[in-house]
Amino acid sequence: MINRLTAPPQLTTDRSAQRYDDIRELLPDVDHPTPLVRVNRVAADLSLYLKLEWLNPFGSIKDRAAKYLLDGLRSRGELGDRELVEASSGNTAIALAALAALQGTRLTVTIPDGVPEEKKVVLRMLGAEVWETPDDMCPVDHPKDGAIALARSLAASENGTKYVMPNQYENPDNVLAHYETTGPEIWRQTEGRVRVFLAGFGTCGTLTGVGRYLKEQDPTIKIVAIEPQKGHRLPGLKSFGEAKEPGNLDWSVIDDVVRVDDEPAYDMTKRLWREDGLMVGPSTGAIVHAAVEYGLAPDEIAVGVSPDSGLKYTSYFAELLGEDGLPQV
Amino acid sequence: MTTQINVTETLDTSGVLCPLPVYKAALVLKRMESGQVLELTCTDPGSLEDIPAMARQRGDRLLQTDNRGATQVFWIEKGTTT
Repeated sequence: MINRLTAPPQLTTDRSAQRYDDIRELLPDVDHPTPLVRVNRVAADLSLYLKLEWLNPFGSIKDRAAKYLLDGLRSRGELGDRELVEASSGNTAIALAALAALQGTRLTVTIPDGVPEEKKVVLRMLGAEVWETPDDMCPVDHPKDGAIALARSLAASENGTKYVMPNQYENPDNVLAHYETTGPEIWRQTEGRVRVFLAGFGTCGTLTGVGRYLKEQDPTIKIVAIEPQKGHRLPGLKSFGEAKEPGNLDWSVIDDVVRVDDEPAYDMTKRLWREDGLMVGPSTGAIVHAAVEYGLAPDEIAVGVSPDSGLKYTSYFAELLGEDGLPQV
Repeated sequence: MTTQINVTETLDTSGVLCPLPVYKAALVLKRMESGQVLELTCTDPGSLEDIPAMARQRGDRLLQTDNRGATQVFWIEKGTTT
């Protein structure tokens, strides 16, 4: 056994040396944005840039919302010694699980049916309890909102003494995260020249927060929402034909809605991997497909969100690939 | 007059709001054998609609319901398909 006479040496955070005292210091802000990368090949005729949100420390755009949701609960004294419960298709839950673990708070996640196994395993690795919610659990409610209903009922049970639900769908802190970080980052990274912003319908924190910020800078910037079809398999995106519109959605900042089928979204995802070296998740494929279909002018700078990487969807991709990439003998 | 039911498992979800009783009941039924009976106690009024719907969807048989004012008791026989 080693008896230490002095405290272990410690370096202080130095961003220029990419050295940090705490993983949370890697969360983005206007001065330390996530990268904006041009889509050079798949959208060669366009000035389309993707904001690579999967380079956040916990792997997705939801790192931003999770930080703001937790900070909001803490600053309002709403957390106390209660546990967290949240409905999520995975990314918010992963970010919440990591941040909650860092502060010693337990998290229960209600997750919709069909979320890839990879995400569920990541959540359990982070110490979260995962309640998978079948689509047909709430026959008298919105069938795709079972996870939200279950999280609400957990939060309300035991007179609300055990759990608190951040509720990313209705919590303005989700919108604020993107109004204060993602929006200003995009504005500065494009030198104020962004003309079109594209993101998917989901919790609508990104669309409303970024949309609101960009419209305040220049009301003529177009905000384009991407909506999947009913029964889709694009995790993180919501079709309002089968799911309730979240309270965070502000229609006044949305100029257009582009609907995307699964097949072209997955085809585009594969092309982004193979032609642009962008290892993105399926929702990015949907957003880029929508951007290409939208009819952007070649001289207008468009920014799409790339919410997460494809590494959490390899089981989906295995089905997509079939025999592709295997020796044909 | 109620008939004698051989209960295999009991689950009390008193104080719990829907859809949590449905979720918990489905978890218990999943580990039970076909033909075994779950006695489920609920206090959420929504259960009167949700539990029979759940049993129908899962292919289970709702043997009996006892509405005791604020409390409802359901006896569900697990089916063969789930």
